[in-house]
Amino acid sequence: MALGDSRSKTDQVKPKDQFDLLHDERVRSVVYQLLTAAVVGWVGWYLFTTTAHNLEMRGMDSGFGFLGFEAGFDPAFRLVAYEVGVGTYGDIFLIGILNTLYISFLSIIAMTLVGFSVGVLRLSNNWLVAKVALAYVEIFRNTPLLIQVIFWYTGIFSLLPQIRNSLDLSAGAEVVLLNNRGLYLPWPVPGDLLWMTGLALGIAIILAVLFRRWAHKRQDITGQLIPTLIPGAALIVFLPGIVYWMTGSPLGWEIPELEGFNFAGGATLPPAFLALFVALTIYHSAHLAESVRAGILSVGPGQSDAAMAIGLRKNRLMSLVIIPQAMPAIVPPMISLWMNVVKNSSLAIAIGYPDLVAVFMQTSLNQAGHAIEIVGMTMAFYMFVSLTISWLLNIYNKRVQLVER
Amino acid sequence: MAIVKTENTPARAAPLTERSIIGWMSKNLFSSVFNSILTIVTLYVIYITVKDLWVWGIGDAVWIAETRRECFTISIDGACWAGVIAWFDNIFYGRYPREELWRINLGAILLFIWMAPLWLPRVKAKVFIAVTTVFLYPFLAGYLFAGGDKGIFMQVMITAAIVCLVANTLHSIIGVSNGTSLPGLVLRLLGKNNAPEKSQRIILFSILLVCFIVVYLWQMSWSAQGVSWTKWGGLFLTFVIAGVGIASALPGGIVLALGRRSKLPVIRVLSTAFIELFRSVPLITVLFMATTMFPLFMPEGFILNKLTQVIIAVCLFNACYMAETVRAGLQAIPRGQFEGAHTIGLGYWGTMGLVVMPQALKHMIPNIVGTFIGLLKDTTLVSIIGLFDILGMLRSVSRDTPWIGLHKEPLIFGAILFFLICFAMSKYSRHLEVKLSTGHKK
Amino acid sequence: MTDTDKQEKQNAGEQLASAISSEVMIDLKQVNKWYGSFHVLKDIDLIVHKGERIVVCGPSGSGKSTLIRCINHLEEHQTGSIVVDGITLDKNLKNIDHIRTEVGMVFQNFNLFPHLSILENLTLGPIWVRKMPKADAHAIAMEYLERVKIPEQADKFPGQLSGGQQQRVAIARSLCMDPKIMLFDEPTSALDPEMIKEVLDVMVELADTGMTMIVVTHEMGFAETIADRVIFMDQGDIVEENEPNGFFNHPEHERTRLFLSQIL
Repeated sequence: MALGDSRSKTDQVKPKDQFDLLHDERVRSVVYQLLTAAVVGWVGWYLFTTTAHNLEMRGMDSGFGFLGFEAGFDPAFRLVAYEVGVGTYGDIFLIGILNTLYISFLSIIAMTLVGFSVGVLRLSNNWLVAKVALAYVEIFRNTPLLIQVIFWYTGIFSLLPQIRNSLDLSAGAEVVLLNNRGLYLPWPVPGDLLWMTGLALGIAIILAVLFRRWAHKRQDITGQLIPTLIPGAALIVFLPGIVYWMTGSPLGWEIPELEGFNFAGGATLPPAFLALFVALTIYHSAHLAESVRAGILSVGPGQSDAAMAIGLRKNRLMSLVIIPQAMPAIVPPMISLWMNVVKNSSLAIAIGYPDLVAVFMQTSLNQAGHAIEIVGMTMAFYMFVSLTISWLLNIYNKRVQLVER
Repeated sequence: MAIVKTENTPARAAPLTERSIIGWMSKNLFSSVFNSILTIVTLYVIYITVKDLWVWGIGDAVWIAETRRECFTISIDGACWAGVIAWFDNIFYGRYPREELWRINLGAILLFIWMAPLWLPRVKAKVFIAVTTVFLYPFLAGYLFAGGDKGIFMQVMITAAIVCLVANTLHSIIGVSNGTSLPGLVLRLLGKNNAPEKSQRIILFSILLVCFIVVYLWQMSWSAQGVSWTKWGGLFLTFVIAGVGIASALPGGIVLALGRRSKLPVIRVLSTAFIELFRSVPLITVLFMATTMFPLFMPEGFILNKLTQVIIAVCLFNACYMAETVRAGLQAIPRGQFEGAHTIGLGYWGTMGLVVMPQALKHMIPNIVGTFIGLLKDTTLVSIIGLFDILGMLRSVSRDTPWIGLHKEPLIFGAILFFLICFAMSKYSRHLEVKLSTGHKK
Repeated sequence: MTDTDKQEKQNAGEQLASAISSEVMIDLKQVNKWYGSFHVLKDIDLIVHKGERIVVCGPSGSGKSTLIRCINHLEEHQTGSIVVDGITLDKNLKNIDHIRTEVGMVFQNFNLFPHLSILENLTLGPIWVRKMPKADAHAIAMEYLERVKIPEQADKFPGQLSGGQQQRVAIARSLCMDPKIMLFDEPTSALDPEMIKEVLDVMVELADTGMTMIVVTHEMGFAETIADRVIFMDQGDIVEENEPNGFFNHPEHERTRLFLSQIL
């Protein structure tokens, strides 16, 4: 028997050129899509009608009119002016958003710094340091964030000393104080001529950038390496410093003073804020450290070998060879971790920091009803932040791809 | 002139710097002045931390006491573990009736028996075992935990689960002991192992049917006492929610991921929108949505209890995360595999089910374990909306009159518990990843 | 190569040519395909008769792979008509499925299924597409594995085999579906030199059985041995089409000559 001749003769099929409704690709595609759209549409319609019916039965109205109603409660922490009895649910929404963004922003900055440091320490050639960094990463990654948040709140920041026995974090100057009511910081009060210092800072930064460009150009032409980091930094520090001093130090500090049973003046961060800030920073920095480590390791050992073989020294090896290649691997997970910080800041609700979910989705919803509107607005906010962040990520990815070409 | 070596050079021991402890230390701890200072400072910090933790947590800790006050009288600086110990049952089982705890334990043991064959090397049909774990075990366990009246549907599912469990176990024992399968052995015992495939199938099917009927009649003879979901709690509840979450997230995630990769725009857009919606909002908002909006979605007179609402929310949320895991797994399958499958005439479902998914799922296992760890950690959020999962229980300790104000110890205990579970699982998933990436083939 | 050798080959070729029937297996009329705005196939006309063996060659990017991938609809052509074994390739999914069972294909990178054993790779199609009983599928698979001379590897996994063995398995896998036409897309280009011969041997043996074959390859020796016709493609056009002797000895087109001078 030869290869391929064992075929039965029965599967000779007659030509089928004619249009076959059941098996036509286009027909199927349209049918599948219509079917899906119909099912989704029906579910949507069903939910809509039942909800409308339920709302009517319970005598509840819908619409966004409630945003103009007086809210009648005062968030424990806010960044904008608000008066109980006057402020509306719309104001509460705004306060919640600002509080969420505020803690997210600070936590993102802190967790990025800590995460990078720990990630680099993970690769330290000092065995002990590398292991300590590893322990940090594993311990904080493998415990639920919510337990950490509550632990920092109930186990640490609520158990701090009373106001009278505040911890002094400024080494005896009594300007930065920590107690069970929160952290008290001096707050800057700008004087008349402060704008000149700001202007000087701006000019110094521009000059530093120009200097750097000039130095690069000069290197291109002559090959001469001109140090830019230290002169640039000196420029940025000293120029505004001199201007500040010459205009007569136009910046006052409002220092928290003990008045009666509480501190007045300065800025206050409540314990819930501190607990959430610390927990978010630690938890996400542990995740970031792993991404940083993986990113640096993804640049193979051959790259270091090659760079050292052409005689680059360790610092230039890092800045010219390793970091440019590691960043594309680090930035995308880092940006999605930033997104996670924003989302996880909603755990504030467990310890009473008035973020968007706590003041709007819980308190306002309990008081005013309007579940659908409130849930929708809250989700829309997070989706907006998420879209913004993924937009940033796309821009970054495009730039990286351009560099790679 | 040629140089010829007449003897082989014998291997000598490495110099001290390469093998002794001192050599290792000088290389890894004291390689430079800076490194030495760093090592000493780190050692000091570790010493202080460990010493304080030791004194607080073990050295001065109180293990046996009736109340927190009593703890203080014994030791003022130590941890009061007595409170945690007194709450052990609550932390693990919630307020589940104490005389019925064996049902939870039995459920856990059954799950172990069900899934253990997946790790045994000689057992075949692992996919079947995995699929039945996802689709049948929940019914058996669900009834075991909740009890009460069995409807017809539940009776059928419970019977199927029991038959399946027995068959799986026998099959695995046979597989481990002599490397064949249960159907194979049955047929050989009947002397039909050379019969045509069709009659073999009929024999096996009728045996299965007989078993099914027998088990069905047997299960009608017993029933378990009903336990309201409000009594469920502790680590048990956490595992129930996370378990249902992961079991439904996998099929849901596969469907959504296929939808997102579909060529048909309507299906693709809808899947993408659904996935992105749930991935861009925090879980807590989804939980709030479930508890506030689901009642409005239900027809009149139909009330979902809070546990069901939460489980639905967790399932939706996790299906979307799983969808992205599955999508990443699918993207890793080279195009040639699709083409190879097409050329032997497999259609879309054949290609996906026989060629692409088996490979993709295998490579996804580490990520699925990772997702499960995330899910387990996230499940603690249900305590915020008033379910008494493990975190809810841990927080209740400080509100219990004898232990009022005892915050730290229960939380630390919970943290350690989670750490052990999550760390073990993440180590395991990393081990799998390494095993798979080295291209190990059976 | 001596003249007598050539003579023998030509005789052999004539003998084979006599096996070609007049039945048309593949009929391409005015086929055009674009990738985006890039015109890959330009007005391709090609008729392949039953039992005919065709070798397609040309520089990379000339569209030769795309051409044979269109024949079993791995790529969709945009205009023109492709009729395979009397079935038109159109939007009818049933036709596409049917043609794929009639047309076997062997790829440059084998595309074996790494999660299945060699035997399972071979029986997958017969069991799930041809709906064959398992035992029969096994028997057929073992028969073909013997033909490609690796029956002892049946229980191994693709990753454990050498490239040449994998490619022979891939050929056997296609043959298990009992195809009427075999397409080869550069079957030897991913192989180490010492393994090329074992694969070509199998292909020559297959050619001897009268299988209709279209082979995209750069193995000119192979082309001379088995081809009834050699097609040269460049920039999406069929530039030259001739029987092997004429093609290799008297190339007519300037581009063919240039290509042959580079490759031989």
